[in-house]
Order: sequence, then C-alpha cells, then structure tokens
Amino acid sequence: MNTRGQRILLWTAPPAVALFVLAYLVFPVFSPPLSPTLTPDQVAAFFRGNVTGILGVAILCNLIACSLVPLFAVTAVQISRVATSSTVLTYAYVICVGVGTTAFILADYCWGMAAFRPDRDPQLISLLNDMAWFFFIAPVGTIMVQNLCFALSVYLDDRPEPIFPRWVAHFNVATVGLLAPGAFSILYKSGPLAWNGPLSFTLRLATFAVYIAVMFWALLRAVKHQGDDRVVLA
Amino acid sequence: MAEAPKAPTASAEQTTSRPKNRKLDQWIAFWTVPFFFNLFGLVFVPLSWMMPPRSPSSPTPHIVDFMHSHNLLIACVILTLAYGLAPVSNACYLMQVKRMSVSPAFRYSMMIGAITGAIVGMLFPMFCFGLGAFRPGYRPSVLMMLYDFGYLAFIGSLGCFCVMWMAFGLAIILDENKILPKWLGYYTIWQYVTELMAAPVWIAKSGPFAWNGLMTFWFAMTLYVSWQFIVYLCIYKAIKSQPEAELDNAPPEPLPAALETTSRTSA
Repeated sequence: MNTRGQRILLWTAPPAVALFVLAYLVFPVFSPPLSPTLTPDQVAAFFRGNVTGILGVAILCNLIACSLVPLFAVTAVQISRVATSSTVLTYAYVICVGVGTTAFILADYCWGMAAFRPDRDPQLISLLNDMAWFFFIAPVGTIMVQNLCFALSVYLDDRPEPIFPRWVAHFNVATVGLLAPGAFSILYKSGPLAWNGPLSFTLRLATFAVYIAVMFWALLRAVKHQGDDRVVLA
Repeated sequence: MAEAPKAPTASAEQTTSRPKNRKLDQWIAFWTVPFFFNLFGLVFVPLSWMMPPRSPSSPTPHIVDFMHSHNLLIACVILTLAYGLAPVSNACYLMQVKRMSVSPAFRYSMMIGAITGAIVGMLFPMFCFGLGAFRPGYRPSVLMMLYDFGYLAFIGSLGCFCVMWMAFGLAIILDENKILPKWLGYYTIWQYVTELMAAPVWIAKSGPFAWNGLMTFWFAMTLYVSWQFIVYLCIYKAIKSQPEAELDNAPPEPLPAALETTSRTSA
C-alpha cells in the first residue's frame, strides 16, 4: 500500500517508452540520421521536404519530453534508501536529471523551429539543425554522472539483502563508458564518432534503450521488495 | 559539556527570543510569489509589449522593429534578475507535498520539471528576444528566427510543466493526510491536460491555434491564471493550517504528543 505512489510513477514509463520508440521510428531526421557533412542548402531542402514528419515528432517529443522523469524520480528515492551518511547522491542525481532533460528539450525545440518555417535562410536552418544535434548527442555528462551516483549508492549498500543486485551497478558503470563517445561528436563530421556514426548515434541510443529497460526491471523489483520499509527523506 | 543537558537550555532560549511566527520562512517564500508574478506581468505587458503575443505572420518590418526595441533588453535584465524567484514558488508548493503521505518521488519529479521549465520556458526564450535587441546589425531573417524561437519556447513549452503538475495532482489525490483538497488534484490534472492544446502553436501561423490565437493563448491563459490563483489560495490555507507541532522548529516540550500529531510519511 505504501509504495503505491512509486508503482504508479514506475508504470508511466512503459507508455512513455512506447511513445519515444514511435517518435524515433517516424522521425525523418533519424532515418537515416542526417549527415553532418550536408551543406546548408541540402539541409534546408531536407527540412522543406519533411515538414510534417519533423514537426509531428517535435510536437510529440515536446509533450513527452519529461515522461521518463518519474522513472528517474523513483530511482532517486531508491538511492536514498541506501543508508549512507546523507542524501547527497539522491540530490546530485535529481539535479543531473533536470539538467539533462533540459538539453533534450532544447534539441527538440531546435528541430521544431527548423521545420516551423523551412523557407527561412538555409544558413539558419543548418544552424538550427546543428544546434539540435549538439544538444541531442553531445551532452552526455549529466547522464554519466547520474549513473555513477546510482552505481555508487549500490556499491555502498552493505545490508545483507541489497536493494539492487550488484550487476545493475556494474551495468550502470558500463553505460558511462558506452555513452561517453557522444561528447566527441563535436569534433568529427564523419566516421564512427560523428553524430550520425555508430559510436555517437547507434551505440548511444541503444545503450540508453537497454539502460531504461534494465532500470525499469530493477526498480520494479526494488519497489516490490521495499514493503513497509519506511524512510523519512529530507 | 555533555550533549543531553545542553539541548533543553538551547531550545528554551529559542522559545523566548523567537517571535511567535514560526512559519516566517514559509510566509516569506509565499509572498515572493505574487511579487514575482506581478513583476512578470509588468515586464511582459506594459514594458516590452511582448504579451499579448504578436502575430506569427506579422510583416517582416514590424518584426524587425519590435526585435530592435531597447525595452526588450531592459526586460531581459529585470527577468534575469528575478527569475530565481520562480524556483521559490515551486519550493513553496513542494513543502506542502512533503507533508503528504506520498513518496518523495513526486517531489523529485516536480523539482526536475521546475529546473527544466525555468530554462526552456523562461531564460531561453527571454534571451532569444534579448539577442535580437542586443546587436542591431542582424539580417531580418536572423531576427525572424529569434522572434519565432522566443514565442514558440514561451508559449509552446509543455512537457516540463506537464510532468510537474502531473506529479502535483497525483500526490494530492494519493495523499492521506488531507494537506490539500482532493478536488484540487483532479482540477490540476484537468488543467494540464487542457493546457496541452497549446501544442499546435508549433504548426499554425494564424487562427485560433497560432501562438497568439484565441485557444492557445487567450483561453489557455485564462484557464492557467485562474488555476494558478486557486492553487495559490489552497497553499495559503495549507500553510496557515499546518499544526505548530508539525513544524521543523516546533517547541520540543510535549514530545510524545508531538509524535502523535506528526503526520505519516511513506516511502
């Protein structure tokens, strides 16, 4: 009864994920991901030709941008159940989620803007598209720290029956390494590190998808086992 | 200098020197909210005439003129000075959610929404207008882009507020301590679902669903302002009716009784 709120928040994640997958599949910019080597005229032509698809997905993502936040909020609650000396990891985690989500929303706005009036100066369409890719692929710093905070809390959990299995922490540490290449997308216009490359694009999105699935499973399990264990949290 | 005898003397000292209003912190935070919203209104309407929104399809010379108005820069200055007060209003609401018998996850969701919303819904669009006014030499096409971006981000920012108010509404509905009335929870959910009709501002350039349209601006704004006002009144009542014994700085004397009245918190 006690964990009802957490379970409600957790179960908002599957529909949210379904909508994100839908958005990913129908987003013209991602199929295949636009190359950073396109000239401004080519980018402008692309946006002119795909207004409906891009705007539709931009609007959908504007609405669902924060829909994974409840999942992260439940993670934060579970982090603070690990009786360390303070809730510092919880707060670091929460602030990281806030900042990271901001970058995602700005990426969405830039794509939406580029498609809003696709007949503006191609230089500007290209700038908006570049900005969107920067915000979408490059800012991995917050999610990396976020996952490290979580992993740390799992490692510090010394109760006989830990809240999370150890491998979830190892997995979170691994995601840090797998997400990091995205930051280098700013340096390259082609190759695996470019924003449409296998390391910055495919690996990053795949890691994120698996990560959400694993965390959902781990959180369901943790909340189920939480039972009546009440915590007063600051 | 043992710990045990020291505590009661310290608290006795506190009770004599402290004025009777133990909720002073909450009241100060509470009264910054109308100050902030009024300032917000003054900056947007009579100072800069950003609101009511100009048309997405106004002719380029009008947009260029508007984007060059010096008052946009002054508006930027005032808002960048004051936008820190938006988190204070959210913190004020969070304190009431904290008293509810719901998981802190609801508060964290609201905090994340508030962090995000302050940047994408306030600072970023404000700077779009400010950037246009900052350097007069820009080509009209650049100014057009900043103008579009400013209005779209201002009026079309939905997701972050959606998660905030979803968490707020759900927390009120699930709460067993009756901190805020249940109807406010349902009203909040209805409010933000209705607010989502602003989504078409990203498509329409004129008519009721453009960013200056009857539905997306005037109707949504009326609903929002009245809702915000009602939430605010309810928060006022909630702060006022919070029992003294429940406060963090409550006098420690009747310890068992204080424990009795402290409301339930759940994980």
